[in-house]
Amino acid sequence: MKSKFKAMFMTACLLPVFYGSAALAAETGTALKNDTIRKEPYADAKSAGSFTRGESLEILSKQGAWLQVKTKKSTGWVRLLSVKRGASSAGSQSAGVLAAASGRAGTGQVVSTTGVRGLSEQELKAAKFNESEIKTMESYTLSADDGRNFADAGKLKPIAFANLKAAKGDTK
Amino acid sequence: MNGLIKNTNPARSSLRKHSKIKAGNSLLISALLASVLGLAGMQSFAFDLKGVLKEAAEKELGKSPETPATDAGQTQPTTTGASSSENTAAKTSEPEFNWKNPSKEEEIALGREIAGNLLGAAPLVKDTALQKYVNSVGRWVASQSERPDLPWRFGVIESEDLNAFAAPGGYIMLTKGLYRKLSNEAQLAGVLGHEIGHVVKKHQLKVLQKQQLLNIGAGFLSDKYAKDNKLASKAIGTGAEISARSLDKSAEYEADRLGLSYATRAGYEPYGLTEVLQTIGQTNKNDGSVALLFKTHPHPDERLVALGDAIGNKLDNVKNGKTLENRFYQLKN
Repeated sequence: MKSKFKAMFMTACLLPVFYGSAALAAETGTALKNDTIRKEPYADAKSAGSFTRGESLEILSKQGAWLQVKTKKSTGWVRLLSVKRGASSAGSQSAGVLAAASGRAGTGQVVSTTGVRGLSEQELKAAKFNESEIKTMESYTLSADDGRNFADAGKLKPIAFANLKAAKGDTK
Repeated sequence: MNGLIKNTNPARSSLRKHSKIKAGNSLLISALLASVLGLAGMQSFAFDLKGVLKEAAEKELGKSPETPATDAGQTQPTTTGASSSENTAAKTSEPEFNWKNPSKEEEIALGREIAGNLLGAAPLVKDTALQKYVNSVGRWVASQSERPDLPWRFGVIESEDLNAFAAPGGYIMLTKGLYRKLSNEAQLAGVLGHEIGHVVKKHQLKVLQKQQLLNIGAGFLSDKYAKDNKLASKAIGTGAEISARSLDKSAEYEADRLGLSYATRAGYEPYGLTEVLQTIGQTNKNDGSVALLFKTHPHPDERLVALGDAIGNKLDNVKNGKTLENRFYQLKN
């Protein structure tokens, strides 16, 4: 009885600490792919377990491009893009549902839900060329020098980085 | 037939005034849908375009009762003597748009038509400071691309949808709804980078070229012209399904990779685009604001996975990228 009370007390104390330590505390996530969970936020760190695509998890914290996550079996670090924030949407299944709902009836919903000038298929088809708007847009055109000055003002430093290529074996 | 033939030259501004240009406009708009890319998909575009083409063709063919209208959208040659002569007349009156190998000027003129039509559906947000800010970020990111020489221009348009669009030649737009979801400059750079990637790789232009060459093959232009285009026969070989789904999807994934690469080279925190994809992925699928985006693009989850696979460990040594939330322009409403 005494130890149980102690445990509850500890939990009560720890909760606010958890919430305060990272904005991500208690956020739920979903594994986007099968991946290894690492003991440290490094690619060559030792394995602490693994998760499979679609598995629910808890996001504890973020460090650079790594997320500290907790699954039912293990806790550790995975790459940022192995996890989708928010509850599971069952991955491709949701995409299927979307596709089914995206016919003309689906796009018609754009108008009714937003009530704002829309970009539905029909509205785009009915659109008329707007000369004054395109001229206004073109009036904002900046030179490469303008861009560089803007970058300098924000202390943006260009770096060398090769264009990413599709991963091997990636389906087109 | 005359109207359709005119449609093959949508880049010429004079055409806009032509009384039969309506079909051309809808064709362009349809192209917009597809290409427009922004975060959107081109697969539906191909189907839409086919539908529009068929509609336009049926309209025209209604004047020649000997031809069944249903053949219009297919690859059966439907040339008539009358249309050939009209075509010749049209060709001699104005220089032909070079669909096989458009010049940079032609590409820009085509993009201008498409962008102008989009602005007809959703005008620019009347906030000069916002537009200038977006042009500054976009211009700097575009300078990291393979086509820094284009006259890049950017615009935020009045729509609460979440979407972004690119048109050939460097016309790029994003909706106010999408801008509202952004929280820093690195995210904006990633979104604009994706669109810049579409323009650099001429994704939309290529779809339009294919469609035009298909028109040629279907007999909307003279036989002589068709024979000059080796690509036309290839397009016919795949029937009306000119853009395979997988090909269109791959264009989106490619734009994602390029967009992230450009923003990274520009000095931004590399994960801006992926953060936006996370946000979009959390949007309720039944929310009308993402209907078009989700219809035209691979699901954000799939895009995140593909980007993650492409990144691997390549960003492990990239540090000190900036997010610049401090100077991120806040919408007034």
